[in-house]
Parts: sequence; C-alpha cells; structure tokens
Amino acid sequence: MTFMTYTRPFTGILLLAGLSLWLASAQTTAPTTAAAELTIRGDVPETLVLKTADLTQLPRETAAVTDQDGTQINYEGVPLREILKRAGVPIGKDLRGKSLASYIVAKAHDGYQVVFSLGELGTDFGNESILVADKRDGKPLFGYQGPLRLVCPNDKAGARSVRMLETIEFVRLQK
Amino acid sequence: MYRLILFASAAFAGIWLTAQDLPKGFPKPRVPADNPMTTEKVELGRYLFYDTRMSVNGKSSCATCHKQELAFTDGLAVAVGATGETNPRGAMSLVNVAYSAVLTWSNPGITTLEQQALVPMFGEHPVELGLRAGDGFLSMLGSDAKYRELFERAFPADRDPFTIGNVTKAIASFERSIVSARSPYDRYHYGGEDNAVSDSAKRGEILFFSRQLSCFRCHGGFNFSGNTASERHAAGELEFHNNGVSGAPGLFEFTKDPKDAGKFKAPTLRNIAVTAPYMHDGSIATLDGVLSHYAGGGHNNPNKDPLIAGFALSPQDRSDLIEFLKSLTDEAVLHDRRFANPW
Repeated sequence: MTFMTYTRPFTGILLLAGLSLWLASAQTTAPTTAAAELTIRGDVPETLVLKTADLTQLPRETAAVTDQDGTQINYEGVPLREILKRAGVPIGKDLRGKSLASYIVAKAHDGYQVVFSLGELGTDFGNESILVADKRDGKPLFGYQGPLRLVCPNDKAGARSVRMLETIEFVRLQK
Repeated sequence: MYRLILFASAAFAGIWLTAQDLPKGFPKPRVPADNPMTTEKVELGRYLFYDTRMSVNGKSSCATCHKQELAFTDGLAVAVGATGETNPRGAMSLVNVAYSAVLTWSNPGITTLEQQALVPMFGEHPVELGLRAGDGFLSMLGSDAKYRELFERAFPADRDPFTIGNVTKAIASFERSIVSARSPYDRYHYGGEDNAVSDSAKRGEILFFSRQLSCFRCHGGFNFSGNTASERHAAGELEFHNNGVSGAPGLFEFTKDPKDAGKFKAPTLRNIAVTAPYMHDGSIATLDGVLSHYAGGGHNNPNKDPLIAGFALSPQDRSDLIEFLKSLTDEAVLHDRRFANPW
C-alpha cells in the first residue's frame, strides 16, 4: 500500500495562501480603529447603541484636565451619567437600596476594561463627573484615543480614562 | 515638595520656545530657580558643548558622544571617553532632556542637568572627558578672548564668572533649549495634519497604545518616556524597569538592593529611528530587533518587569510599529542651526 504524497501545484499554492492568511489573522494583535458608537448593555431594560452623531444631541460638558505628564487638554463630550440615565440605569434619585450593589464595566476596543460603582457616579453619593468625550481641544478624537473615550478629571492617574471606548456593561449584583 | 519649590515656575522665554515650536497643551520645560534661561547662557553653553578643550587631552567634547544629526547620540553601542575607556552604557539622546525627571540611565540621585554635567566632566569610573580640579581648564577659558566675551555676557553680575558652577549652568541651559516637538507625529497628533503620517504609522500608533503591547506603559506621555517633569508638573515617584536585557547592575549600583538589579529608566522614543543601536548597552542593532526582543519577552530573571511578557506580532504589525516609531523623528531638531557647532 502506498500513500499519495503528490499534491497538485495549484492546490499547494492555494493551501499555502490560505495558511498564510490564517497565520496573519491569527497573529495580528489588534485590529485598527474602534467603532464609532457606544453600546450600553447588561442589566438594562434594552441595549442602547449611541452613534457618535447621537452624542451631539445630548447635554454636553467640557473638562479641562492636566494629563499625567503635564499636558493641558480640553475634552468635550456627554456626561456618563446622562448616557446611563438614557439606558435605564438607576443613577439619579432611584439610586438606592439594591441598586447601590451595582457597577458598570467600561470596555475598550483592545479588551481593556475598568469598573465604576454606581455609588461613585451618583449625584447623591460620590458625584464623580465622568465624561464620555468625543472631542479633544475642539477636534474629534482619533487614532488610539477615540472616537470615544472616558475622561475622569478627578483621577490622579489616567488608567480609568478608558481610550477607544466601545461598550459599557451594567451589572446588578442584587436583583 | 522640595523639588516643587526648587523648580518654581521660571520663564522659559526667549528664542528657544515659540508658538511654532510647542504644540498646544505641550508643557514647558522646568528650569531651576537659580539658573533661569537666557539667550547668553544658551549661547555660551553651545560653545562649551562643542569644545574639545573640555577634555583631558583635547580629543573629546560633549558633542563627541552627543551628535546632533543622531539626535545627540553617537551611533555606538557604548560610549567611548577621551582616553579610549569604554563606558558600560550607551550615550543617551539629549533631545527633550529638559523634561527628564532623572538623568543618566539609572542614577536616581541625579535630577538636574547641572548635576549631570559633572559626571562626564570629572567622572573617573569610567573616564569620559577626564577633567580634574586645577588642571588649567578654567584658566584656559579665562584666557580665551571668545570665552571672556561669552562668560561676561552670560554672567554679568559675577566678578569671576569662570567657575565650574557657571560652566555647568551654561551647558545645562543649552541642553534645555534642545526641544523636539515638530515630528510628523506631532503634526498629525497635535497639529491635526491627517496626512503628516502614513496609514501604516497610524496603525502602529494604535498597536503601541494597545493593551496587548502596552509599549506606552513605560514609554508614555508626550515624550514617549518614563518620568517627566515640567514647569507645572512635578516628577512623581521615579520608575526604573528591568526590561529583560541581561548583564548590567543598573539601579542596583546606587541602591545596593538586589531587587533593583538590571533596572534602568525608560528613555524617550522621540527620534528613536536615528539613535541605534538600542538598549542601555547598545546590544540590539535595529528597531526590528528591539521588537523581537519585546515580542519574545526578553531574558527571564527575577527582576523582569511583568509588562515584559511577550506578545504576538504579525509582519504587518511589525512594519506598522516601525513606521510609527519613524514618525517620531523630528528632522528639524536634527538640523536646527541653533543647536549646531558654533566654532
């Protein structure tokens, strides 16, 4: 009994091409830019998807921050609280009782994620004014920064100011 | 806090930093309160920087190891002093050195350029310029007509301006004036010129700042480096890293703590394409080699920074990252006549 070892050249080329494509896609560490929209999902009545254009219709604020390296930056965007409110997250007067055992996960395009408790965001509690920014010094955020990012003006370090923000997931620990 | 007071805001005015030089929001360098910037001191510093009479045998000047066209590095793996003695480490770039919170590769005690200048001038382990107290260097300056003019202009209130302190103040002032903020990347990122860099460089930038590669975690901020300090920004806690390049004491030399062995500061990546070879010991010849080093996770040792854990890199990613790094080259600073040899 003999094993067939011959592969027709054309098939071989196809196999090689397919293999290279697969290898290239498997090894690529991160795709290019982040989506131009923000998805709020999880324990919300209904998943909310906001396009960057939608953000221009919401209440807007600015935040002048000094970056960790001393760079002065003016960000503009929508307060995170406003977005959470529109998604049905209890963030105003309804933030009490079991709702205080809940948090949001802000996720970036590259998989980076950080957590904020609702208590630190609520106006009756921590009252942290965190911004979902779409502009930096008057220009749309681009490249590794945008199109959307969080800005936490009271944080000393920048690690929670998630760049390339794509998703906010709301999690209730007690329902 | 002491440092904050010492580096109280001082005007960095004059010819060095104009609106064209610094992008909006870019911080101004810090200047020690006892050595404010003046045009005259910068000019004197430039003459001294390029003068080989500042060495024991007239063979070397600061510029021997810090060549402008190489972003003020020397192209060698490790620096070579006036007497031929080799330094265990490579010459560091001086571009944007005004922002460095700590000078040299790993000495946490040297935080001003005035202090640092004394190391190459008088250091014996290794000998760099090889000057010694009382060797006639100051009297040479005093007897030179050009220097008499320059020193009197730079230090008009001093009865005897020819002092080592004034030499280091002038050299430090010149070094502080070498600011780079006009690279294609700056024009793209700060200036809003979308076509200033290629699409490949833009993809590389995203990779550089990605969670997977995390290059920015050590080479961060506007200067793509470790700790910076600027006019209104204190240095913070100094950071040194073991990046998996083996065989040198690093921070341990100064702290004697075994946990500090092999730790060095993260230098700026601005102009990195012209400052080969790379790492503190010049052991990697190319940027491609540097990417391979980090992708492979470096040499394992107990002090290795957990961030040096390796990552996957496609040929396209590799090429994009290198294009991004090349976009940090500021051709203007490499050819700016204000920083060139005045002799």
